[in-house]
Amino acid sequence: MRVVVRTVSELCVTAGTLIVLFVVYLLFWTGVRADGAMHDQIDDLHHTWARGSAPGADPGATPDPDTTADPGRTAVPQAPADPAPPAPYTAGRPFAIMYVPRLGFTWNKPVLQGTAADTLKKGLGHYPGTARLGGRGNFAVAGHRRTYGDPFKDFPQLRHGDAVVLTDGTTWFTYRIDKGPYKTVPTDVEVIDPVPRKSGYTGAGRYLTLTTCDPEWGHSHRLIVWAHLDSTQPVEAGKPAALRR
Amino acid sequence: MYGWIWRHLPGNAWLKALISLILALAVVYVLFQYVFPWAEPLLPFNDVTVDNQ
Repeated sequence: MRVVVRTVSELCVTAGTLIVLFVVYLLFWTGVRADGAMHDQIDDLHHTWARGSAPGADPGATPDPDTTADPGRTAVPQAPADPAPPAPYTAGRPFAIMYVPRLGFTWNKPVLQGTAADTLKKGLGHYPGTARLGGRGNFAVAGHRRTYGDPFKDFPQLRHGDAVVLTDGTTWFTYRIDKGPYKTVPTDVEVIDPVPRKSGYTGAGRYLTLTTCDPEWGHSHRLIVWAHLDSTQPVEAGKPAALRR
Repeated sequence: MYGWIWRHLPGNAWLKALISLILALAVVYVLFQYVFPWAEPLLPFNDVTVDNQ
């Protein structure tokens, strides 16, 4: 009898310890791992850009003559008119860095191609099949609300007019949020359409959609934010106004 | 359970305590490295997209 009681209580203590360890893993350890992974991805991008071949850009062209010679790359909402169609993004590889001043002045995350679970552990994920960064249509990106670095923890604070700035190594793209967090259900795939019906946009354009989960620790709903491309400028022109303090 | 393990560890009390500590760390390592990453997708925190659920 005594042995039974002792064994049962030991098992209970073990189970409790396991649960506590799992919570530590979720709240703390995934964040540590994700911060390291995102840092690596951003380093990776900077190295690639420093070598002069941005992933997704024309591999034959070096960025300098390309951007200076191209009159399309001015501060107007117009996609860079690349001479050759750019190479498609590689699944699971980073191709851009996103900055959202509202989420923190130092908030910056890599954007990777694809929304697989493993990809989202290393940064934000670009929905395959949606527009390219700065391209015509809807550039849709998903990110974790909680765990894995909590990239979109403060998602509900995003407001109309907030800047979402991205760079692909050659160009800064400044998007402006038009509609604050919109709550929907996970099956609502319309929100990443080229012209999302509920966003209020009526015609074709260069849009950005961010998605994350809601509630914070749940998965019953999704939060959506829509933005339009406000301006672009070459990286040689310095950081866009939205990122200057 | 733990008493049984303690009795079967070799050496004196200090050595037993040392081996216990190493065993505990090994268990934590296996949990963090293999068990929790496997269990984590079964929870809802990964569902942040609108299409693939």
